[in-house]
Amino acid sequence: MSQTIAKPIPVPDEITAPFFDGARASKLMLQHCAACDSWSFPVRERCPHCFSGTLQWRQASGRGTLYTFAIMHQVMNPGFASSVPYNVSQIDLEEGVRMVANVVGVANDALRIGMKLEAIFEDVGETVRIPKFRPAVG
Amino acid sequence: MTAIDLDATSPKHLADKYAIVGVGETEYMRGNGSGRTTRALGVQAIRAAMNDAGLKPGDIDGMLSYSGNDSTFSTFMAGDLGIRLNFYMDVHGGGSSTEALVGIAIGVIEAGLCKTVAIYRAMNGFSQVRIGGTGARSAAPINGDQLHARAYGWQSAGQMFAPTFMRHMHDYGTKPEQVAMVKVIHSEHASNNPKALYKKRMTVDDVLNSRMICKPLHLLDCCVETDNGNCIIVTSADRARDCKHHPVLIRSVVGRCCKPRIDMHYQHGPISTVAGHYAKDILFPNADVKPEDIDITGSYDAFTFTTMLQLEDYGFCKKGEGPTYVSDGTMRLGGKRPNNTSGGHLCEGYTHGIAMVIENVRQLRHDVDDSCPIGPDGKRQHTYDYREGGCRQVKDVELSANLGWAMPGTGSSMIMRRA
Repeated sequence: MSQTIAKPIPVPDEITAPFFDGARASKLMLQHCAACDSWSFPVRERCPHCFSGTLQWRQASGRGTLYTFAIMHQVMNPGFASSVPYNVSQIDLEEGVRMVANVVGVANDALRIGMKLEAIFEDVGETVRIPKFRPAVG
Repeated sequence: MTAIDLDATSPKHLADKYAIVGVGETEYMRGNGSGRTTRALGVQAIRAAMNDAGLKPGDIDGMLSYSGNDSTFSTFMAGDLGIRLNFYMDVHGGGSSTEALVGIAIGVIEAGLCKTVAIYRAMNGFSQVRIGGTGARSAAPINGDQLHARAYGWQSAGQMFAPTFMRHMHDYGTKPEQVAMVKVIHSEHASNNPKALYKKRMTVDDVLNSRMICKPLHLLDCCVETDNGNCIIVTSADRARDCKHHPVLIRSVVGRCCKPRIDMHYQHGPISTVAGHYAKDILFPNADVKPEDIDITGSYDAFTFTTMLQLEDYGFCKKGEGPTYVSDGTMRLGGKRPNNTSGGHLCEGYTHGIAMVIENVRQLRHDVDDSCPIGPDGKRQHTYDYREGGCRQVKDVELSANLGWAMPGTGSSMIMRRA
């Protein structure tokens, strides 16, 4: 009997909870520094640009471009056995930060560096959703 | 002695003051694996390096090792070898460790903590702990730094590095067939290395036709994980003169030099630039040599393209000309600047960088362990015929550079010279 092994699921903590709360509501929430007016990612306690403690959560545009990617054929994690081949991509957001995610809704061989993307949200477990990206509409 | 060697205001005054006097290793094993503990592998490698140097247990009083929590600590090795230690340290880390630990060894000897340091890496890298974070580790819930990586199926070294290769292809027009030449050339070198695990010479088509692991990386773009133990022994140039072999002196060392944002290196573009871009500004001035002075390189070939990225960013060619450099024969035996003459991690075996240092020490002794006949004086009579199964000694080699790599964002390096 074969058993499906689940993908690893993120466990939000006190500092990342707003990111995942936002994702559950289909909003891409990122930290913005009120002191130096810059965005940052991944989540942290203080602004990496000016070390101010005034980071605030704001909804980001979710729009970006594909910076680079790779296409995974080998199963390195059994949770992804039914997903190969899948891409892992890096996306430059309009806000100036770079995220890692999968780009969905497009064939892997149609991925092009520089293509316009927008965030969508997918369930990974009963209470957790994570942002992914798809080709921008329009 | 050049004026720069007397400049005590910078590390330059340490150039040529320390030497690598002993090197040794076990076999490289896959298949059924070593069937031995990392303790046994380490003890064998350290003992081999001591014999190579002509040193007795009482001559070694310092020990350094590195591991990813997959090895045995110095205290056990020393006990098994009858060594009493005045200094030891076991550090966490993989590919950027060897050269960094040479720097630490120089520092602790200089500071008077000990006199002679054995540096080892002992690993069952095939049969016990694989590098890909697979097995039980893959099912664990994700938190902390892995939050934005493992949820998307991004965890192994190849998966982590491949986007850097893809972006390099975009930025510079790099072709997979050019990068495949790294494997081709290293396999030629391995065919002249009796202890290499994979001695078969490969072609570009062999690489491009091997199955895709994570595009743009094919199976044969990836190194060969093995079980093995390796050791080098560092001591002062003064003591080196009493050891068995022609001294190999350390000109300069860089240890775990970093790009900005090494926590998540993809955050700091351009990602096709790697740590060597920064490390070169320590490595070459402290050695008082330039890239064009270097006769041989040992560039970390966890993957074919990691070799290319390092050679580029250390300045052996202009940025973006790496694809030509690695494919035009420059780094082949008989070429202008051979790279990884042992076959490297792609063919000889995976050691987290230490074996490439061992190879360059032997090259600088003019006594590399190929199949050339041993003469009446007990020394190998090198033919410099680099055909399959033949010689792999580089003629008149005087200066070498080792370029260690942990990941795109962190690197270590070392320049050595024949005394």
